[in-house]
Amino acid sequence: MKQYVLRRLALAVPTLVLVSVIVFSLMRFMPGDVVTRMVEGHAYAPTVDALRTELGLDRPAYVQYLDWVSGIVLRGDFGSSYWTRQPILDEFVRRFPVTLELAALTILVSVVIGILVGIVSAVRQDTISDYVGRVFAILALSIPYFGLAVLVVVLPAIYFKWTPVWTYVSFTTSPLENLKIMIVPALVFGVTRAGPIMRIMRSALLEVMRQDYIRTAWSKGLPERAIVLRHALKNAMIPVVTLIGLQTPLYIGGSVIIEAIFRLPGVGLFFFESLTRLDYPVVQSVNLIIAAMVVGLNLAIDLTYAFLDPRIRYR
Amino acid sequence: MAAVGAGVAVEVGALPPARPWYTDVWVRMLRRKPLGTIGAAIVLVMLLGAVFADVLTPYGFAQTNLRERFVTTSTEHWLGTDQLGRDLLTRILYGARISLYVGFGAVTLGSLLATALGISSAYWGGRVDLLLQRVVDAWMAFPGLLILMSILSLLGPSVFNITLVLGIAFGIQNSRIVRGVALSIKENTYIEGTRALGSGHARVTLVHILPNVFPTIIVVATTGLSTVILTEASLSFLGLGVPPPYPTWGGMLSLAGLDHMYRAPWLAIWPAVALSLAVFGFNMLGDALRDLLDPRLKGG
Repeated sequence: MKQYVLRRLALAVPTLVLVSVIVFSLMRFMPGDVVTRMVEGHAYAPTVDALRTELGLDRPAYVQYLDWVSGIVLRGDFGSSYWTRQPILDEFVRRFPVTLELAALTILVSVVIGILVGIVSAVRQDTISDYVGRVFAILALSIPYFGLAVLVVVLPAIYFKWTPVWTYVSFTTSPLENLKIMIVPALVFGVTRAGPIMRIMRSALLEVMRQDYIRTAWSKGLPERAIVLRHALKNAMIPVVTLIGLQTPLYIGGSVIIEAIFRLPGVGLFFFESLTRLDYPVVQSVNLIIAAMVVGLNLAIDLTYAFLDPRIRYR
Repeated sequence: MAAVGAGVAVEVGALPPARPWYTDVWVRMLRRKPLGTIGAAIVLVMLLGAVFADVLTPYGFAQTNLRERFVTTSTEHWLGTDQLGRDLLTRILYGARISLYVGFGAVTLGSLLATALGISSAYWGGRVDLLLQRVVDAWMAFPGLLILMSILSLLGPSVFNITLVLGIAFGIQNSRIVRGVALSIKENTYIEGTRALGSGHARVTLVHILPNVFPTIIVVATTGLSTVILTEASLSFLGLGVPPPYPTWGGMLSLAGLDHMYRAPWLAIWPAVALSLAVFGFNMLGDALRDLLDPRLKGG
C-alpha cells in the first residue's frame, strides 16, 4: 500500500512538469500584449521596454520558465501579479476557502439529493417514485447551471422582491450570515449536478441488489432497510465515488461562473479577473496549482476504493 | 451487422431484417427508445430551425427597432423583443445555428483527432503509446473550463477559434476511449492473419481496425455533442466564446444583460429553455444510440 502511494506520487511528477510546460508556453507564445496595455492605458512605467525589463520579460523564454519553476520548487514562490505586484500564492490562499466552501456545499447538496433519489428510485423500481426520480435526473442533466443561476437571480427579484445577498461575509466573521450567502449558489449548482449522481447510484444499486449475497440476506429474513443500507449501499457506492472524482474539475471550472454570477470573492473570480486583465503569471500559476490539486485528488479517490472494497489490491 | 438485428427479429418471429446497421439503429430506436425518439425529434427541429432561420423569420438577428423595445409576447414577436427591439425568436433560431455549427464542427474535428490519436497510440504501442498517454494525462489534469478560458482569451473570441479549441480538447479527451477499443481489436486473430498475408500498417489500421472502431466513435460523438454545446454556451456566457453581434444562447444569458433581464425576464427564460431543450435532445439521442450501437460503453 505504501509502495503504491509512492509510485503514484512519482508518476504525478512528469504529469505536472508537462502541465507547467503547457501553461507556460500558452502564455508566452500567443498574441495579446499585456505590457503595452499596462504602459499606454495605465502608465505603469515610462516605456514598454522599461516595464519589460522590470517584469523580466526581456529574458529568453527558457530562462523565464526555469525561474518560475525553480521559484515554486525551491521557495514555494508562485510569482507575482503583473498589475498588483502581490504574491500569487498569498491571494490564492486568501481566496481558496471561499471556493472550497462552495465546492464542499455543492458536492454535499448533489450527493445528498443524488444518493437519496437514487436509492428510492432503485428500491422502488418501475413505480411512480422511480419515474419521478428519473424525470428529475433528466431535468437536472439538461438545465445548464449558469442558466438556472441567472433565473434564480432574476425571477425572484421580479416576482417576490427577493435577491441573493451581494456583499460577501466570511465564515469566520459570521458563520450564519456566511451560510445564508453560500446556500443559494450551492443549491443551484448542486441540484444541476445531482442528476448524474442519481443515475449512477440507481443503476449501481440495482446491479448490487441482484447479487447472491443480497439474496442470502433476504433469505435470512433481514428487513429491507438493513439490506439496502447496510449490505448493498457500500458496494454500490464505488461508481458513485468515481463519478464525484471525475466531476471535480467540473466543480472547479463551474465555480468560475458561479462566483462571477453570485459575486463570491473566490479563486474562480480571481482567475477570471486576472484573465481579462491578461495577468499571465496568475493565470499560469492558478492553472498549475489547480491541476496539482486534481492530480492529488484523483490519488485520494483511488485510495478511497481500498476502503470501500478491500478486494481491490494494489501492486 | 445482421446479428445486431437478431433481437428484434426474434420478437416479431421473422427472419433477421436485411437492413444495414445505420438504418436498423433508427428502426430500433423508434420501437424501443421513446426518450431517444423524442431527443431525435428535438434535434431535428433544432436542425431545421437553424438551417431555415432566414426563411422562418422576417427579421435579421441584428435588426434593431427602437420603437419596439421590451415587447412581451405578441403576434409580430412570438417570444418578445430585447432592449434594442431585436426579435428574440429570431435570435434564438440564429443562436441554434451557432450552437450547431460549433457543436458539429468541434465534434467532427475532435472525432477525427481522437480516432487518429487513439488508433496510433494503440497500434504502435510501446514508447509512442507511453508518450502520447502522458500528454493526455497532463491535459486531463487541467480543469476543463480554466484551460479553455486561458487559451481562448489569448486567441481572441471567434467562431473559428472556439470550434478549433473545443475540437482539439474533445479529441484529446476521447482518444482514450478509442485507444481502449482499438487495443482490444488489435489482439484479434484476424489482425494477426492479415499481417501474415503481408498487409502493411496502413491497410491493417484503415481497413481492419478503423471500421470496427467506428460505432464507438459515433457514440462518443453523439454523447459529446451536448457537452460541447454546453461548453460553448459557458464560454460565450463569460464573453470568451462567440463575439457579438452573433446571437448565442450563452451570450444572451450573460451578465452583461442582467439589468435588462430584471425588466424583461423573458430575455433570460427563453435562451435558458432553448439551451436546456438542446442539451436534453442531444443527451437522450446520444444515450439511446449508445445503448443500441455499443452497449459496452453503458454508464461510461
